[in-house]
Amino acid sequence: MTPPKPLLNPRLLKKWGIGMLRMLALAAVLLWSIYPIALIVSMSLRAPRDILSHGSLWGVSFTFQNYQNLWKRWPDFFTNLTNSLWVALLATALTLVVSFLAGYAYSRRSGKALTASAFFMIMVRLLPPIVLTLPLFPAVNWLHLNDTKFLLVVLYCSFFVSLGVWIMKAFIDQLPRELEESASMDGAGLWQTLRRIILPLSYAGLISTAVFVMVFAWNDFLFAFIFTTVDAKTAPLVISEMVGAIDGVDWGILFAAATLQLLPILAFVWMVQKYLIAGLTAGSVKG
Amino acid sequence: MKPDRRHWLMVSPAQALLVLVLFVPALYVFWLSLTRSTYGKSPEWVGLANYATVLGDPYFWRALWNTAIVVNTIVFVEFALALGVAVLFAGWIPWRKWMIAMVLAPYAITEVVSVVIWKFMMDPYGGPITNALASLGLPPLDWSVEPSHGLALVIVLSVWHHLPFTFILLYTALLGIPRDLYEAAQVDGANAWKQFVRITIPLLVPAMLVALVFRYIFAFRIFSEVWLLTGGGPARTTEVLAVYLYRQAFRYADFGAGAATGWLMLLASLLMGAWYIHLMYKKMFRHDAT
Repeated sequence: MTPPKPLLNPRLLKKWGIGMLRMLALAAVLLWSIYPIALIVSMSLRAPRDILSHGSLWGVSFTFQNYQNLWKRWPDFFTNLTNSLWVALLATALTLVVSFLAGYAYSRRSGKALTASAFFMIMVRLLPPIVLTLPLFPAVNWLHLNDTKFLLVVLYCSFFVSLGVWIMKAFIDQLPRELEESASMDGAGLWQTLRRIILPLSYAGLISTAVFVMVFAWNDFLFAFIFTTVDAKTAPLVISEMVGAIDGVDWGILFAAATLQLLPILAFVWMVQKYLIAGLTAGSVKG
Repeated sequence: MKPDRRHWLMVSPAQALLVLVLFVPALYVFWLSLTRSTYGKSPEWVGLANYATVLGDPYFWRALWNTAIVVNTIVFVEFALALGVAVLFAGWIPWRKWMIAMVLAPYAITEVVSVVIWKFMMDPYGGPITNALASLGLPPLDWSVEPSHGLALVIVLSVWHHLPFTFILLYTALLGIPRDLYEAAQVDGANAWKQFVRITIPLLVPAMLVALVFRYIFAFRIFSEVWLLTGGGPARTTEVLAVYLYRQAFRYADFGAGAATGWLMLLASLLMGAWYIHLMYKKMFRHDAT
């Protein structure tokens, strides 16, 4: 006689159990990653009196009062956001041009001197930014570049050029050389080949590079903190000033400002997520 | 093929930026570290006196010690978490693309806002996490008073902020492991744990190295999180090297000591990165055969 069949197959039960655990783990990961951000946005939309009392994300009050207060109390914040935007866009543009050109040269040519310059490029990337602010400070004052957007653009670009060249090289490496060879047979010069053939084909690399510079330039605190005082102040710096305001922290205004600062860049990162992942992989592992 | 003049021209803007903005200033820091100078005074040669001052300063050693603890904890906690999340995501996950988007989100947030939000959640009077801890019968994290709590919050914040980076590196490497290796192991009767230890871990080693060393180098620079959260206080107990440097140079206007600190910091991070850069350089830029 065959033994009676168990009501629930133990193997199936184990499978379900593991499945449940996995979903619990996923829920914990999501809570960890997204709850703090969702909380900022949610807090910015509730009445100031409700801010400290509830950690839940919805179901409290709903108002734009904090945004109105921000507009009234920190009218300059919107100028600072525009500063951030300009600095991020220009730093990205400059980095893309510079990295594309160098990335191509490193991808297609080799030799001792070129290798040495590539090595140098990686080495200087190791210099901690705070160490460099120290000698740059007097130089910047001497050149009257203190508190200018131009300075921030150059700084952000310089700190991301190594990564940019690296990513561009990895992407251009994947393009077949036959393309250029046939183009040069047809009589196209190097610049023409670059513009007509390589540039359109390496858009994925360009977008990946852009994500990194854009996120860094939009979010940076350190350089803005040391090198800007009035005109070129960026949004993160002003948010940090709101935290330290002498009349105590107004959480509502702070959350409204933080929301305005974070939503555009978060949307951008989500839009180009694919390229961000590709860039990280190309920039570090593929080598 | 050897580069010609045009290729050097293409490389030059990138190199010019690096030389002018990073390399020359780095050399100048070294010279500054051998002189005594402050606002409006021209530097005067003092030899190694600044190094002696810094190395004799108990606050420097405290900052170094804090940096060592904070950096090591951040890197390894983050690494363990990222590995766990990567393994979780390598299996079946509903709405994968959206889930990855959620995990990536902290990457887009500025340090300033992440300090704001964690400060708020951990507020000793009514912050949501403090309340949650209290309902479990746990005491609040007294990060503004107790130095070790302050540093713990810095660690949590930094891990939160950089987990996406480490996660993506490990996750993409995991996806690159050929499926048939696992199938073969299953045929041989290896259980899930054995497969993880014998196949996943060894094949993941290169990506793990990249993730660890990258994070080491970057975590070493930690400034904003500490500066905005505790300002190095109370009584300079939570300073890290970058904060110590900033205070020496820009608050006490002692550029010489600041520069000496900078050079010591540089040495420490170079020592950590040296062998790795060597490996990377060999992998990346050697294709002389072509």
